[in-house]
Amino acid sequence: MFQGLTVFETAYAMAVHAGQKQAVVAQNVANADTPGYVARDLPSFKDIYAPAESSRVVARATREGHMHGHTSDARTLMETDNSFASPDGNSVSIDAEMLRATDAKRQHDRSLAIYRSALSVLRSSLGRQ
Amino acid sequence: MSEFSKALSISTSGLQAQASRLRHLSENISNADTPGYRRKMIPFDTRMQNGVSQVEVGRMTLDDRPLERVFDPAHPMADATGHYEGSNVELLIELADAREAQRSYEANLKMFEQARQMSSGLMQLLRR
Repeated sequence: MFQGLTVFETAYAMAVHAGQKQAVVAQNVANADTPGYVARDLPSFKDIYAPAESSRVVARATREGHMHGHTSDARTLMETDNSFASPDGNSVSIDAEMLRATDAKRQHDRSLAIYRSALSVLRSSLGRQ
Repeated sequence: MSEFSKALSISTSGLQAQASRLRHLSENISNADTPGYRRKMIPFDTRMQNGVSQVEVGRMTLDDRPLERVFDPAHPMADATGHYEGSNVELLIELADAREAQRSYEANLKMFEQARQMSSGLMQLLRR
């Protein structure tokens, strides 16, 4: 019963994604003054998440990369729109990065809240407070 | 290396780069009236380390624009025409650059703080 609880897996994958996103944003901000640096971004969690095999009809992955999503290597970096690049070729916009960072923080908080609440449901089902 | 420690190390490299930029700027500003002083410039570069691209400060170069010629016959270094060579520092450029460095420093600091908050939020899950 306690194996492969989907809500925990989803919350975990969401938190991992938020952490990766935060790292990418930090990299962009740190390189905000590096000439020729192209800003990067991760696809949104909604687009890359595929629920684990336990919760749906199972199709077995016979090769690495057949089923994306839960193999935790979902960080295909994509380059952001660089039509606003400054003359030195740097396309980082600090304000856009701040927006993304706030997104990442909120996503992370949300996933932790879900995890915590699911944990308390689990605890009360065990008769503990 | 977890994502948070990656984020923290990247932000730290950004903070160091901006701090070193600010140090060179203040050297330039304080030597704005030194005769023969050439403005120092440092390039920023991206360096891959442990799979993350950190910022690296490259070799310092001197600005080779011509030095400003100041007319002051009473100056000990004045030549036959009464001119001496001042520095090629322009205060306005340095101040604008310093403001940009400050802005980037604060942005990096904010990213550092946020990564720290996220990881401590994770630790709160264990605390019960």
